[in-house]
Amino acid sequence: MLEILKDRTGEIERLIEKYPSRRSAMLPLLWIVQRQEGWVSQESMKEVAEILGVTVAEVYEVVSFYTMFQQKPVGKFHLALCDTLSCAICGTHEIVAYLNEKYGIEKNKVTEDGLFSLELVECIGACANAPALLLNEDLITNLTPANIDAMIAGCRQKAGAPAATA
Amino acid sequence: MPEVAEWERVLLPDIEKNETEWLADYVRKGGYDVARKALDMEPEAIISEVKESGLRGRGGAGFPTGMKWGFLPKGAFPRYLAVNADESEPGTCKDRPLMEQRPHTLIEGIICSCLAIESEMAFIYIRGEYYNGAKILDRAVEEAYREGFLGSNIFGREGRKLDLVVHRGAGAYICGEETALLTSLEGYRGYPKLKPPFPAISGLYGKPTIINNVETIVNVPFILKNGADWFKKWVHERTTGLRLYSVSGHVKKPGVYELPPTVTLKELIHDYCGGMRNDHDLKFVIPGGSSVPWLKPDQIDVPMSHEGVAAAGSMLGSSAVMVCDHTVCPVWALANLSHFYKHESCGQCTPCREGSGWLYKIVRRIEAGDGQPGDLETLYSLAGEGTPGSGMISGKSICALGDAAAWPVGSAIKQFREEFEEHIQLGKCPYKERNISYWMAEGRFVNESFAGTPVP
Ligand SMILES: Cc1cc2nc3c(=O)[nH]c(=O)nc-3n(C[C@H](O)[C@H](O)[C@H](O)COP(=O)(O)O)c2cc1C
Ligand code: SF4
Repeated sequence: MLEILKDRTGEIERLIEKYPSRRSAMLPLLWIVQRQEGWVSQESMKEVAEILGVTVAEVYEVVSFYTMFQQKPVGKFHLALCDTLSCAICGTHEIVAYLNEKYGIEKNKVTEDGLFSLELVECIGACANAPALLLNEDLITNLTPANIDAMIAGCRQKAGAPAATA
Repeated sequence: MPEVAEWERVLLPDIEKNETEWLADYVRKGGYDVARKALDMEPEAIISEVKESGLRGRGGAGFPTGMKWGFLPKGAFPRYLAVNADESEPGTCKDRPLMEQRPHTLIEGIICSCLAIESEMAFIYIRGEYYNGAKILDRAVEEAYREGFLGSNIFGREGRKLDLVVHRGAGAYICGEETALLTSLEGYRGYPKLKPPFPAISGLYGKPTIINNVETIVNVPFILKNGADWFKKWVHERTTGLRLYSVSGHVKKPGVYELPPTVTLKELIHDYCGGMRNDHDLKFVIPGGSSVPWLKPDQIDVPMSHEGVAAAGSMLGSSAVMVCDHTVCPVWALANLSHFYKHESCGQCTPCREGSGWLYKIVRRIEAGDGQPGDLETLYSLAGEGTPGSGMISGKSICALGDAAAWPVGSAIKQFREEFEEHIQLGKCPYKERNISYWMAEGRFVNESFAGTPVP
């Protein structure tokens, strides 16, 4: 029985039909889940397994392999900051320190208001515009303390949170 | 500093504008005319034009594209085309602007390539991080279906069909390796497979499959339109055509530069990219993506062709140039890259899984000041001298990620042996205090907790 994905069955069937094999829809289905829920829970894995006709273990095996699938809830705004060489030599760690000191955003933690979480990730293909991060699925490049301020303010506004922090 | 004049660009003529060329615009400029023409060509004729052009894969290995297409077994159908848009070799960021700005050139390239290899179904495997690129491609593919350029009876031709699916990855460097890309596309963990059999014989769903990089495919319609000789206007030894160089790191103007293979690494850095940022000194360059051997400043006067870079002792790879100035500690930089490979090893083979972990741990401890006498010898015995097959990892694993993890280690030690030894002797990284003062002088946001040790 589908709960989490029950309103998406039409879209899901159309998606599966695009592939020669049903199982190929694994990553696309997990993306549907993550974009709707913000993360991929055990319950949602059961539903994906049911739709594809595979075991939950097979779905879990896939989820745990791909780093973009979150297995725990993350902040409403998840920051995936690149820490591979091209970004790292252009100031990734200045950005980490800035997020930390000014906004209390810490690596691998969700802020108390549930708004922000931060993860250091490997190369995100924005090397010539370093340092860069993914704000949920949007790429933000050429990071500086100034555009971090603008980004955070924008997020808070979107969430209806008060503009100023500490 | 010599001024760089306007130069001829084909693939990304207006990269600075960063605009998407949608179907109406593309068609107005003659887009899809080549695909129409290709429909009337014999598949063999397309393949031989591509062969004649000397086009080599832009994904890293530089394999001749026409020759790869020729490996498909006769009479075996269905066949698939998988376009490799995983672009995850650190330093490489050229396929993203191609897809975001010229999605229809890519689709036309896919149509032409599928006509050549007689395939009726193609996939674009795009890395999960490129969400914007995937959105743009989805919309462009929809436009092409609506216009009858994709689907059944394409361009109004009875019985000619081509389906195209945009498939998003979800964060795994290894899925850029061609066999891993296919297992991922089948809905599994992205595990590479032992070759042979090569994908051209048994690939996606066990069927003959061609895998090509985005930039490789984008070149195809230009070759068919202008001819192989036009493409060979730009040539250095056996490297032909314009190519996209991704330049990152400490240059004044990092970016994606479309240039002929005769351009030298020195010109690229000092003329096109405006030289070193803050007029710092160049320390070293990684010329072809993070897995290739490093070059020192006296080695950069070489053409950026496969042959030119090889003669300097490195590889052109994905033509991603990473530039490091004198504030970058080579031990620290190596620890950063070794962390990448340890993190991205899929874990199937022991030499790569364990070896990449040991490499990282040892390099990291040297950087942190806990290096032991003998550490460099241990690293050498694991990683070899940065040449294929040497050491305990390279050539001893299923895919080339093992080699990619090993090569930078051997080469970094060879280039900067004294600095590695200095770290071990001093019991600390000599760059740290120096860098803090540089950065303060340049007015950067400085914090004790990160300076010099930014490895997670
Ligand atoms: C570990 C590893 C990662 C790779 N990553 C990519 C990649 O991100 N993009 C790419 O086009 N090729 C990548 N390749 C090369 C592919 O396996 C393959 O050779 C290439 O896509 C073929 O296309 P081409 O002939 O057009 O270059 C990678 C190879 C290895 C071993
Ligand atoms: S070499 Fe490494 S990445 Fe490649 S298959 Fe073996 S363990 Fe996986």
